[in-house]
Amino acid sequence: MTAPAIEIRALNKRFGRLTAVDSLDLTVSSGEVYGLLGPNGAGKTTTIRCLLGFLNPTAGDVILLADHPSSVAVRRRVGYVAGDVTFDRHLKVRDLLAWYGDLRGGVPWARPATLCERLALDPTRKVGELSTGNRRKVAIVQAFMHDPDVLILDEPTAGLDPLLQRNVLDMVRERRQAGAAVLFSSHLLPEVENIADRVGILRLGRLIREDAMANLRNIARQRLEIRFAGDVPAAAFEGVAGISGVQWNGRTVHVVVEGSVATLIKRLADFEVERLVTHDEDLEDIFFAYYGNGGEDQ
Amino acid sequence: MSAVIVLRQMLRDRTRSTIWWSVAMIALVVAVGASYPTIKASAGGLEDLMESMPEGLGELLGAAGGITSPVGYLNSQFYSNMFPILLLVFGIGIASWSVAGAEREGTLEPLLANPVRRSRVALGRYAGLVLLLAVVVVVTTLVLIALRGPFQLSEISVANLVAAGVASFLLALLFATITYAVGAATGRKGLAAALGGGLAAATYVVFGLGSFVSALESVRWLSPWYWFLEPSPLVDGWTLASIALPLLVIVPAVALGTVWFTRRDLR
Repeated sequence: MTAPAIEIRALNKRFGRLTAVDSLDLTVSSGEVYGLLGPNGAGKTTTIRCLLGFLNPTAGDVILLADHPSSVAVRRRVGYVAGDVTFDRHLKVRDLLAWYGDLRGGVPWARPATLCERLALDPTRKVGELSTGNRRKVAIVQAFMHDPDVLILDEPTAGLDPLLQRNVLDMVRERRQAGAAVLFSSHLLPEVENIADRVGILRLGRLIREDAMANLRNIARQRLEIRFAGDVPAAAFEGVAGISGVQWNGRTVHVVVEGSVATLIKRLADFEVERLVTHDEDLEDIFFAYYGNGGEDQ
Repeated sequence: MSAVIVLRQMLRDRTRSTIWWSVAMIALVVAVGASYPTIKASAGGLEDLMESMPEGLGELLGAAGGITSPVGYLNSQFYSNMFPILLLVFGIGIASWSVAGAEREGTLEPLLANPVRRSRVALGRYAGLVLLLAVVVVVTTLVLIALRGPFQLSEISVANLVAAGVASFLLALLFATITYAVGAATGRKGLAAALGGGLAAATYVVFGLGSFVSALESVRWLSPWYWFLEPSPLVDGWTLASIALPLLVIVPAVALGTVWFTRRDLR
């Protein structure tokens, strides 16, 4: 059995009195995408910065490709997109990528050029002139240009429009196909849902749940807003499995469904639905059981 | 190899600003040098003025050897103030950016995600600081050497002008190195620049006032300005104090700052 590409054992990181990461165990195997979910401040970025050797763990071990993360040989095989992207403002994108390519032992320009094209990024522009989204593209190109075996992505699609988001997710899938291990952090479930094989949920520095994506779907809550064309009896949703928090507002109803929405949809078929909106951006809403009262006692 | 790549990029990034600094320094040295014939012509009156000043004040002005001799003039108008102070500003600016400033602006972390050791990045940039500072000193010294005839300063030998250039370089590098080391060790750019610049100012005061404030006289030997100016390389050429003592501070400071940097958390 080969060792996992990313292995975090009993990781603990404290900043003064603040415990940012607390006894975290996490592994990502080659050919796997691991979604690290958590709201801002949950410890995702601290974990990732330990993985890159930017921070020294207070306790515990961080192992990348069976070696210490600060090893140059390991770094050669790692691609990293930071959550907060800052490159030298005065440099042209092309010059920055060439410089980083040199540090990687020479990456032929054709590779980053293709990636720039794929992400619609103009390499002749200066980094300082780019929008946040375009700067993130630079980060993505430099992380992928050497076909890394390990990808560490800290909210890589934040600020990108949906089409480009899909492009990035495709690039991640291609790397997975090629056998790379991917740690993909996000505070948005829908994004991770489409790409992750396994998901870990981080809260206040602790991994409060880790499971296959398929299993997590069953416990995820969805908040739906349904608008009807005509009047609907208030009791229409009584007895629907997993439903709670029904709130009427004229012809619009807000409901919260735990797990599958299949039963609800069947019931809705009896009425004329005009609009169906989901509000599933908020992680704390989705995993209420973990972030709410349930999160404290496991 | 990776240190060279980091260095090369730094030199590329700073070519333009270094050219401007060199131009400014040339302008300064030409202005100071070209004024000397006039000063020399009115030597008598100026010497009388110096004579009438309280003992020690001349030294405070960097003019212990009188201000009308070529050595006294260059020391008082150039080597004991404007030149090293401008070099310090230039050097401390680069030094505070090299690690701590880059860390603060956020560009250090993505750079360190590449397969390059922290020590290589830090030392590559320190080498850049040394080179850029050297370029400005060399250019200025060369201009002074080339024009010392028309400036009526030929009494000072080329060797002594070179020695004074090297000593100025080491003085500025000393304080820039402290800035580098503090920045590398702590990641605090403001603290690093303040310590480097503050120490330069404090030791300058100790040196200047030490000649007539007895309380400071006993610590005067601690001041790098004292090492640099007494005895003056313009008179004595390569002095041990102006070359060896700065190196005694510089070498351990670079080593300590760099090692510390490789072990700490990035901010």
